[in-house]
Amino acid sequence: MTQPHEVEILLVEDNPSDAELTLRALKQRNLANQVFVCHDGAEALDFFFGDGSHGLREIGVVPKVILLDLKLPKVDGLEVLRRLKEEARTKSIPVVVLTSSREEPDIARAYRLGANSYIVKPVDFEAFARAVSDVGLYWLLLNHPPR
Amino acid sequence: MTQLPWNWSIERKLPVFFSTLLLAVVLVMLGAAYQQVRTAALSFASERVKRSTKEWVNASLRSTAQQRSQLATLVADPGVRDFVASGGKRGRDWALAALRRIAPDNTPNVAMEVWDSDGRRLLLRGDSVFASDPAPLAASDSGTVSPYRVQHDTLILSDMQAVVRRATEGAAIGRVVVVRRLNVSALARQTLTGISGGDMSLLIGNVDGDPWTDLEKIIPGPPAEARVLHDSLTTVSYERGDAKIGAAARIPGTPIMFISELPLRQVFAPSRVYLRRMSLIAAMIVLVGALGAWWVSRRITNPLRRITTAAAAIASGDLGQHVDVPGTDELGQLGRSFNIMATEVQRARSDLENQVVERTKALRETNAELEAFSYSVSHDLRAPLRAIHGFARILLEDHGTELQPEAKRVLGVIDENTRRMGQLIDDLLSFSRLGRKELETARVDMAELVRGVVEEVRRHAGDRPLEITVSSLPPARGDRNMLRQAVMNLLDNAAKFTRKRAPGRIEVGHQDNGAEAVYYVKDNGAGFDPRYATKLFGVFQRLHRADEFEGTGVGLAIVQRVVSRHGGRVWAEGKLDAGATFYFTLPGASDA
Repeated sequence: MTQPHEVEILLVEDNPSDAELTLRALKQRNLANQVFVCHDGAEALDFFFGDGSHGLREIGVVPKVILLDLKLPKVDGLEVLRRLKEEARTKSIPVVVLTSSREEPDIARAYRLGANSYIVKPVDFEAFARAVSDVGLYWLLLNHPPR
Repeated sequence: MTQLPWNWSIERKLPVFFSTLLLAVVLVMLGAAYQQVRTAALSFASERVKRSTKEWVNASLRSTAQQRSQLATLVADPGVRDFVASGGKRGRDWALAALRRIAPDNTPNVAMEVWDSDGRRLLLRGDSVFASDPAPLAASDSGTVSPYRVQHDTLILSDMQAVVRRATEGAAIGRVVVVRRLNVSALARQTLTGISGGDMSLLIGNVDGDPWTDLEKIIPGPPAEARVLHDSLTTVSYERGDAKIGAAARIPGTPIMFISELPLRQVFAPSRVYLRRMSLIAAMIVLVGALGAWWVSRRITNPLRRITTAAAAIASGDLGQHVDVPGTDELGQLGRSFNIMATEVQRARSDLENQVVERTKALRETNAELEAFSYSVSHDLRAPLRAIHGFARILLEDHGTELQPEAKRVLGVIDENTRRMGQLIDDLLSFSRLGRKELETARVDMAELVRGVVEEVRRHAGDRPLEITVSSLPPARGDRNMLRQAVMNLLDNAAKFTRKRAPGRIEVGHQDNGAEAVYYVKDNGAGFDPRYATKLFGVFQRLHRADEFEGTGVGLAIVQRVVSRHGGRVWAEGKLDAGATFYFTLPGASDA
């Protein structure tokens, strides 16, 4: 676990099991050092736009990628996505939707709101671990964000 | 509204029918009435001529009787006898005076003569042109009327004579003759026919033949049938040359007969006038009848036309139609019933629309619920499953060394079953999605679609010996993605069940079955027991054990759902261990 100012990956995931499995998959590729986990949509919005009461706000810290679940308590993933892509400061952060939903409307809406990638979490752990670590590798190491 | 051809419309048929009927009735009645009037006229004319003849005969009879008695008195006169026997101036004056009593000075048509038995005329009173040439005296001739004779071509004379006898022994010593001239002239005719009523002709002549006269001139004898008569006062009617009706009668005791005649033309003149008037009235009746029928038919067809127009409008969707047909007759009832029906139809339609709206809403709600359910299944069931699988793996990876072989095996079972459950959820979701998704119909090149699928199946099969042949396939109409899914499932199945064959053979082809195209996928794989053929297409229905051939039992259910949503049919033929053939039909590309 890490402090907000060192965040490279922001994982928004309410299910602790999924969060743990995700972290484990990232760890296997040594990508888990700078992961910060938000447990619902409100926390995620607070991370970027909050008044600091949760101690999460850290102006200037921009994660290299956001892994976003769609079905979240309080504020759902699509709403979080919409807010992030509206704001100029957060607009260019790549958002990877990582969800169980295979439903067409969800996929279509996510892309329309500016998601950079949409990944359906496989039930099979090996497949899941492969998907998560591939995403991490790609966005952290291969992708070249704008300066 | 289709306009009826005029010759079929009631508006025309009714007046024509009634006019024709009226005309026929009027013509028949007119004909019958005319015949009756003619018969009556003929019978009346016949009576008239008979009466006329009878009257003339009676009048003649009376004057003949009077003349006979005068003559009898004359010949019995002793002075006249003496004059005939012995002559002398005194006797002559006496006789002349006696003659003058019968034929006074102002009777130019009568002449009288006195003859002796030697054939000498002793005395003549009147015009000498009448002079007779009497036949030898016979006692029986006394008082008889002679037939008419013609003298100097123009005079028609008839005479009566009486024998003068000696007072003592009764021997005939001479005779007295009265000669009467029939006055023949236009004036005479006019006078006489005037007495009979102007239009009647009076013919007089001898029973045995000429001469005959119509009182104006001498004419040919009357028809034979009129001359065959008894010596009596009976009259005989006859029609001469189809142009006249007459009655003939002989003056009893004389050779003279009378005929009264009327021209038929004149007899029937009133009937013709009657016919003309009645024809005019009949024409008026027919005209009025036709107008009435036309009016009635308009009264019938106008409401009918309005109702027809309204019905056509309703048929084309304008349900707010009402007709205005007043009255309490059948048409009024029809109009009211029509209005009630139209209102009912409108109400039923609006009820139906409301129902459709309600049902659609309910259906939409159900669909939304289903969607939410699928979403939950997709998300909420998969997450715990992933956790079970993931943590079982973690247990195996992180603590594998500490576990007994039996514990490892159990973990393997967990692993296997969570995988399977994941697959089931995925298949179920895609099956449910198929039912909800809208069809995006277009022309689909089935040959090209199958080629793509075959390539993918080959890729999956890897090195396994698999012979796939595709014959020419006709294009279809449908949703390309769905059809691809169906074909993919069929070929996947075929590849799966031919796994134990070397080589596995798969054939894709089609049969031309008239209206619809029948496609088939045939393999030489494990086949199936035909007794369970109907179970093949049910969801989660499997005919093979999972350890023989893996699968969730959704693939063929998806095939059936896709095909039936396209309006086609799907069925299978097969035998255990002898391969299977799956058929499906699709609407041809040329349809719709």
